[in-house]
Amino acid sequence: MAAFRVLIVESDTREAAELQQLIRSWEYTSATGSREPAEICLASSAAMALGAYDEFLPNLLIFGPVAAAQTANRNVRQLRQRGGIEPVPILCVQGAGVATQAPPIECDDILTKPYSPALVQLKLASIRRFCEFSRSLMAQRDRLRRHHADFLQEQANAREIFDNLGNESCLNDTPAIRYHLSPRAVLNGDLLVATHSPDGKLVLMLGDFAGHGLAAAVGAVPLTSIFYSMVPRGFSMTRVLREVNGKLFDILPRQMFCCLVMLEFDPRRKHLRIFNAGMPSPCLKRASGELVMLESRHLPLGVLPGDQIDRALVNQRVLPGDRLYLWSDGVHEARNGRGEHFGESRLLELLRMDGQEGPEIFDQILVAVSAHAAEQHDDLSLVELDLSDPVLSRREWSPVAPDGQRQGGRIGDWSISFRLSEQELRDADPLPYLLSVVGQMPGAARFHEDLATALGELFRNALEHGVLELDSSLKCTDEGFVRYYDLLAERRGALSGGWVSVSLSCSQHDQDGVLKIVVEDSGVGFPHVQEPKGVYAGRGLGLLQTVCDEVRYGPGSSRVEAVIRWGAEPASAEDIESKGLARAVQTPPVPV
Amino acid sequence: MVVSDRLESRVISEISDSGDTVVIRVAGNFDFNVHRDFQRAYRNLAPPPKIFLVDLSATEHLDSAALGMLLLLRDYCVELEREGFRPEVELINANPHVSHILAVSNFDRIFSIR
Repeated sequence: MAAFRVLIVESDTREAAELQQLIRSWEYTSATGSREPAEICLASSAAMALGAYDEFLPNLLIFGPVAAAQTANRNVRQLRQRGGIEPVPILCVQGAGVATQAPPIECDDILTKPYSPALVQLKLASIRRFCEFSRSLMAQRDRLRRHHADFLQEQANAREIFDNLGNESCLNDTPAIRYHLSPRAVLNGDLLVATHSPDGKLVLMLGDFAGHGLAAAVGAVPLTSIFYSMVPRGFSMTRVLREVNGKLFDILPRQMFCCLVMLEFDPRRKHLRIFNAGMPSPCLKRASGELVMLESRHLPLGVLPGDQIDRALVNQRVLPGDRLYLWSDGVHEARNGRGEHFGESRLLELLRMDGQEGPEIFDQILVAVSAHAAEQHDDLSLVELDLSDPVLSRREWSPVAPDGQRQGGRIGDWSISFRLSEQELRDADPLPYLLSVVGQMPGAARFHEDLATALGELFRNALEHGVLELDSSLKCTDEGFVRYYDLLAERRGALSGGWVSVSLSCSQHDQDGVLKIVVEDSGVGFPHVQEPKGVYAGRGLGLLQTVCDEVRYGPGSSRVEAVIRWGAEPASAEDIESKGLARAVQTPPVPV
Repeated sequence: MVVSDRLESRVISEISDSGDTVVIRVAGNFDFNVHRDFQRAYRNLAPPPKIFLVDLSATEHLDSAALGMLLLLRDYCVELEREGFRPEVELINANPHVSHILAVSNFDRIFSIR
């Protein structure tokens, strides 16, 4: 196909020949430098031109003087439309005798007779440049379209992967958690995940990747999968965060990192632990109206290979009526028409005003931010946790399925014991391993949660009170409460000497069985404790008694023995309920 | 002082006469749009200076991409260490808003901020 094609419409053969002659004398220089004349197609009328159009695909249409005078604008328009989106210029020739007659208004330019060859050549050359320009524009447009389609497909894939990763999420299980993530959450780098630890704590993480698009989404994949694989197995927050930091440091390009807040809420002990690495401070709103800001104490994750997670953890005691708000910097950075950020102060003002009549504060914040933002606001994440809501405790909102989830097969007769020495106590987190071993036993689902709770309590008691000699009466005051956990981290890090041993033995008969847990430590014990009161007995002890059928203290109470029994299938649902209730009321009203 | 870089750039770098110090000044929004200019300001200086001073006095806002760029600069200095001397990076003259962002991100732990 010739590089440049001209369609001439002219009924008068002499005029047509003259035009043809003129164009042929002009040599088209192609992009590769080869010179060739333009290709010409002749049509005697607009109707014939229409017929020839699709086969010839002209780059330029010229109406000769006679045709120009005779053709209606309508026909010219038809020809122009045939060109589709690609612009094909239309020239009309004006004869010398009809110079005063207006050219058809649908044309782009005119040639006048008598022809000035130089002028015609100039016009043809400029039209040819115009055509090439528009052709390359079209090619770019097509390329962009393809890229855009690929991009949308990639986004859809990324989102699907995300949805699959998050299927263990408990975000939608309870009205106590409200959240708003922008629709483009995955691709602007914001990330929200939440699940439960085996002993019923809620663990939630809000993260914000530096960078946008696919890179951020790809970075979020290991983060999400570490979270959902470690937390439900009972790994501590410190361990999970350490794993996340190490993984992100290994895989992320140097300029990328992740700001995140991770929190762990124990609804039974009313205890909140929070870790903030570079995110805007979450706000704990007390029923009294007091706002407690939990500021960042750590570098964003993925920046340094090492971390100081223990030192950056903040402990907060939760009081009735407490609610927690978390957000990403999309809230701060929403700009209005004058370029002013929404900022933290406006947000805190709203939180302070909460309590007056009107829609809920959560909605108010969203409305205020989008009203402030000049353009469509799309990278905003906001989370509200109602910490007083009893359903935050897992047991109460997802009861064990009645269809035999807990029945399983035979659990068997076995025993297992292990002993942790100082090195292990300093940095190991032994419970997840033990729980995962025991969890492999057929039928272990029957006692798995109770075991996680009981073992957790006993191990922590042995470590904190036995080996580290922490006094839980410290926890009676708010300040002491925080001091207690600071001391814990400090003493644990400096531990030299001491051990904890744990042994489990299980024996099963036909329909019932007994799981005995013995935890012993190197500490001197607490000789005065006979009753579940006094310094040794915190909320933890009460908890222990709600899940265990018996709890016995050895001499000096550095040896504790707990027993979980399960019997023949209970007669009815009420039976389970009343048993549960009976256990619950045993919780002694002692301080945390 | 030798003034380099184009006039319209929002990143201006100056090398002290002794060649020991390179001051990189970022005006307006320190964000992804300046990343080429920012990299150009510190790469391929022979010999590398002893100190990179990132002057934030004209910086109005700084986002996470900018934090990433600072990490790249730091990384670049760590790489130079292999060839001998590791330049220091100092962030100076940040306005309250910008220093707040740096503080929240705990960047004071890895950069010296004045």
